[in-house]
Amino acid sequence: MSGGVAAVLGGLRTSGPLLALLALTVGFALADSGFATLANLRIILDSAAVPLVLAVGMTFVIRQGSIDLSIEGLMAACSLVFALAVANDRTQFDLGWLGLPVAAAVGAVFGLANGLIVTRLRVPSFMATLGLGSIGLGVAMLLSGDQPPLVRDTPLRQWALGQTFGVPNLALAAAACLAGGFFVEQFTRLGRYSYVVGGAESVARVSGINVDFYKVVVFAFAGLMAGLAAAMESARLGLGHVEIGAGQMLGTITAVVIGGTSLSGGSGSVLGSAVGVLALTVLANGMVFVGAPPHLEKAIQGAIVLVAAVLAGWHVRDRLRIVK
Amino acid sequence: MTAVALRAEGLSKRFGDTDALRDVTLEVRPCEVVGLVGENGAGKSTLLKLLAGVIEPDVGQIILRGAPVRWRKVRDAADAGIGMMFQEPSLIPGISVAENILLAHEGPGIRLGIVRWRKLFALARAWLVKLGMTISPAAATQSLSFSERQLVAFARALAVEARTREAPILLLDEPTSALDDRGVAAVLQTVEALRTRASVVFVSHRLEEVLRVCDRIYVMKDGRCLAEREAGTLTVEALEQLMVGHEISTDIARDAARPHVAASVCLEVRELSRRDKYADVSLALRHGEVMGIAGAAGSGCEELCRTLFGIDAPQSGTMLLEGRTVALRDPADAVAHGIGYVPAERASEGIIGAMSVAANMTLAHLARFCGRWAIDRRREQDVAERWIERLRIATPSATTRASDLSGGNQQKVALAKWLVGRRPRVLILDHPLRGLDVLARRDILETIRELARDGVGIVIVADSLDELLAVSDTVVVMRDGRVSARYSIAEDRPTRQAILESMV
Amino acid sequence: MRQELAEFGAAAVRLVFALALAGAALPARAQALCEKSQIRLVNSMREITQPYHVNLNKGGRMFARWAGLEDNYVLQLNQGDSDKQIALMRSILATNPKCTVFNVEPNADVVMKPMVDTADRTGAWIVTHWVLNRALHPFEGHDHWIAHVAVNSQAVGVAVSEQLVAAMGGKGGIVALQGRLDTDPAQKRFAGLKAVLAKHPGVTLLAEQPANWDRRAAFPIMQAWLAKYGDRIRGVWAANDDMALGALEALRAAGLAGRIPVVGVDGIPEAIAAIDRGEMTATVSSDAFYQGSIGLAMGTCVLTGQAPPPQTWAKERREFFLRVVVITKDNAAHHAKEPAVDAYAGEWRCDNLWSRATGPAF
Repeated sequence: MSGGVAAVLGGLRTSGPLLALLALTVGFALADSGFATLANLRIILDSAAVPLVLAVGMTFVIRQGSIDLSIEGLMAACSLVFALAVANDRTQFDLGWLGLPVAAAVGAVFGLANGLIVTRLRVPSFMATLGLGSIGLGVAMLLSGDQPPLVRDTPLRQWALGQTFGVPNLALAAAACLAGGFFVEQFTRLGRYSYVVGGAESVARVSGINVDFYKVVVFAFAGLMAGLAAAMESARLGLGHVEIGAGQMLGTITAVVIGGTSLSGGSGSVLGSAVGVLALTVLANGMVFVGAPPHLEKAIQGAIVLVAAVLAGWHVRDRLRIVK
Repeated sequence: MTAVALRAEGLSKRFGDTDALRDVTLEVRPCEVVGLVGENGAGKSTLLKLLAGVIEPDVGQIILRGAPVRWRKVRDAADAGIGMMFQEPSLIPGISVAENILLAHEGPGIRLGIVRWRKLFALARAWLVKLGMTISPAAATQSLSFSERQLVAFARALAVEARTREAPILLLDEPTSALDDRGVAAVLQTVEALRTRASVVFVSHRLEEVLRVCDRIYVMKDGRCLAEREAGTLTVEALEQLMVGHEISTDIARDAARPHVAASVCLEVRELSRRDKYADVSLALRHGEVMGIAGAAGSGCEELCRTLFGIDAPQSGTMLLEGRTVALRDPADAVAHGIGYVPAERASEGIIGAMSVAANMTLAHLARFCGRWAIDRRREQDVAERWIERLRIATPSATTRASDLSGGNQQKVALAKWLVGRRPRVLILDHPLRGLDVLARRDILETIRELARDGVGIVIVADSLDELLAVSDTVVVMRDGRVSARYSIAEDRPTRQAILESMV
Repeated sequence: MRQELAEFGAAAVRLVFALALAGAALPARAQALCEKSQIRLVNSMREITQPYHVNLNKGGRMFARWAGLEDNYVLQLNQGDSDKQIALMRSILATNPKCTVFNVEPNADVVMKPMVDTADRTGAWIVTHWVLNRALHPFEGHDHWIAHVAVNSQAVGVAVSEQLVAAMGGKGGIVALQGRLDTDPAQKRFAGLKAVLAKHPGVTLLAEQPANWDRRAAFPIMQAWLAKYGDRIRGVWAANDDMALGALEALRAAGLAGRIPVVGVDGIPEAIAAIDRGEMTATVSSDAFYQGSIGLAMGTCVLTGQAPPPQTWAKERREFFLRVVVITKDNAAHHAKEPAVDAYAGEWRCDNLWSRATGPAF
């Protein structure tokens, strides 16, 4: 392969997700003039908010070499807790803004349980989180009963549906989560050690790092993000809903993978995942604009994942690299 | 000040049904370098791991600066000032050099859980400078060469000095095994400098180095401490004698006339080039010839071997097997053509730790061991036992997991893999003697000569020039990707010095 | 002796005659096929997170309680998986098939035949809803398929679309959120919309998109449409209330809630409340409580012998259209109340099972 092509492809690897995002944006803008407007940009940011919060949490988990398949159940439980905690049509509680941290705390507790099951009982994260997710779903169904509780807290709903300085509030909240996640990832011991755990766990252990502790903290963090995301979505839609997380799990993992985080751990960044989330959101939004049938969206999503994965591995695709 | 810095008293450790250590007692005094030598499987690594807190002893005590201690985890030992450098690479690939050096004890590099990058780099740089390394602490660890990584691992062991006010105790397990002469010099210099303020336990197979830098030497065999001597009273031969009980000569006699070196060429390469690795390499290997390739790190020897085995394709040039041009697609293709390869990184590429010795041996030519429906285990077992005996592999049985064997025995298994099937045409050995003790080396070298007598063409890349000279018929020297010198041993045996000059 | 014989004979003849008269005077009462305690009532539906299904289940339970069979009531949820719906049916029929009654909301058109065949084969009893299958009829030899309660989805679509067009004043652009397009209701309701649009050329269909019956899917789609079409959108059509409510929240985010007419189908309490508030215009209810209970009522009547076996019923009693009611602001308050058992008890009576039939559905 000639040097020039190799250099270009090498550059692509690091900016592959960004290029995908750019390509999608330009493509849709050309296809429909209504796509590239400020109004639609706001909508894209708004739609990307909840998936982004989820992706920040998931990135940490995947970077560490684990996986979290419980977010749908977690979101369901937190959504119900949130809806029942703020002013609603079923209970007398009226926690107002406190509902958000309460939902996040419930998520963190679930995440803690995930982490403890993985580290203490030595259950692989794949199975532990799947099980806990089902429990979360069950709790949600119990809380939901016959009728999903409707959120009647007007200030919260207005916040969730409204904007500040032209930027949707939920997008601002998501951006804050992203910034926080980035800071933790790059500048804190937690971020660096969890990366080390993902890259070479046995070496980390022998070096004296308390691997179990950091694993548990990361799971709790992911749970916290899921709880927050659930509260945001519930405030926006106005009800606590058992199905609130349906479909989010696969979408979140896809976004994280597109963003350059390897599923085997030890690589990746929340910024990359943010790009992945934006790419998928632009895709969904653009498909509505051009009126394409929704099953096409899934097919294109799959194609993007494949291209991103191939580009990410291009520079090391020598014959002896292990691919599982 | 106590007279003894670290004392191991009556330590014993058992793994499964093997006694790795039996009632070992050993002392390290302040400001001294203690050497620890012994064959493979003698228990040196196990002893170091006990002292460093990686594993716990079954019986016995560790007394640090006069007080008995019990390590629950590595961190306890590190906090007490015991730093260990491991035999297998133990760095985290995805992070920076600084993070690796200071892992788990960043000190002021992390305040309140927040990483202060500038401070971290500065701290790491101090350790790198002590070893004479010019690499940046911000460099990505995975971009370093194998020898650079070993030096970083050394720096990490050194860094334990910052954690304690007492004089640190450094445990170095084969610190120079993968280094070229320059690296070795740097390490030895540092160890000598350390003597003024620390104690060092120095484990190595390179007896000259041990004698040069140590004050006292312990000899271990079969899990016991056999002898303790002052380094000044010993020579290499005497040390070897202590280790194995009789004198060994590594210089293997060779037939002056060499009837087994045929005239016909089995492997030839012409102007082989691979960008940034090697260029214009032309060699001709005859049946029964042993060709030794000498070169410093980065000279292209290892990459050449990988090309010969079909792992990396050359960008230009031709390769001929038995006179016919071949373009190897992949290693499977090479195996089908009768080429075998024993890689340098034994643990990760040479053997499969989780599989049994027998399974490892039959891996490359499994088809020969299959009956109609499945693998013929009886035949596999028989063949494995035969080779275990022939190569004197120290293993409880053919069904033992390969990862349970010592390094040298693992290497023998990796070699046997290419011998159990049909005799190979060409065998490529990449640093086959690395990490092996004297006896094991002799075994391997003898086997190599036997194979050469059988007509196998052998390419061997080795660290030690003495061994290359001892076993090769031809020596090719590479420097910066090109062949810089060729010697035929029979006609014009070069001196060690001459080879070194062609290498650098 | 001859005299006694003659008397005996006359008495016997009289007895037989009386019995025969008595027999004729008895109502056409069938044999009870099962012990009442043996009867098992199964409600098979997609899931229970949407209000429509919640009410289906509530209706079924109400009936079971009323009939004294509350402990014999089983709910089967297939989570949108057709194979699972069939599998669940088969697995429960491993025991007591002949006394089990199924009231089925089919997940998709394709499950009808397998489920009917299973009933025929095992001797279980089944009543189906919604899906209209032109090739399959209860009266064509399926003696265990008691009835099919169809909903004229096209008529429903037409009814609700006319409400929408009227609220728009007959002109402007509309966007349409369709249900899962592999189901009959989704297709027929949309066809109803198309039919109404054909009659009102002043109204244009700007865009249509399936949103899986789900308000979370409807929300971002509606948002995108608002960005794309802006104020060309003068009306929102949704194939069910959940999607309508999702679109409503998107309108709310844009400050347009209550300013643009929105219609849906199902008649769930939230939608009725929205209509009452003026944020939705209309919905159509097939009465989930009724749908969830009538099949069980029919089955119970047959099994206790209080109704004759289905093969003797008239064709239009085995496959008929269900009466639906359009809910608008005028009657929203009336429908907002939680229904009571008495409202339905009359319709569960074995001689009144077809009180809501509006005509043959074949």
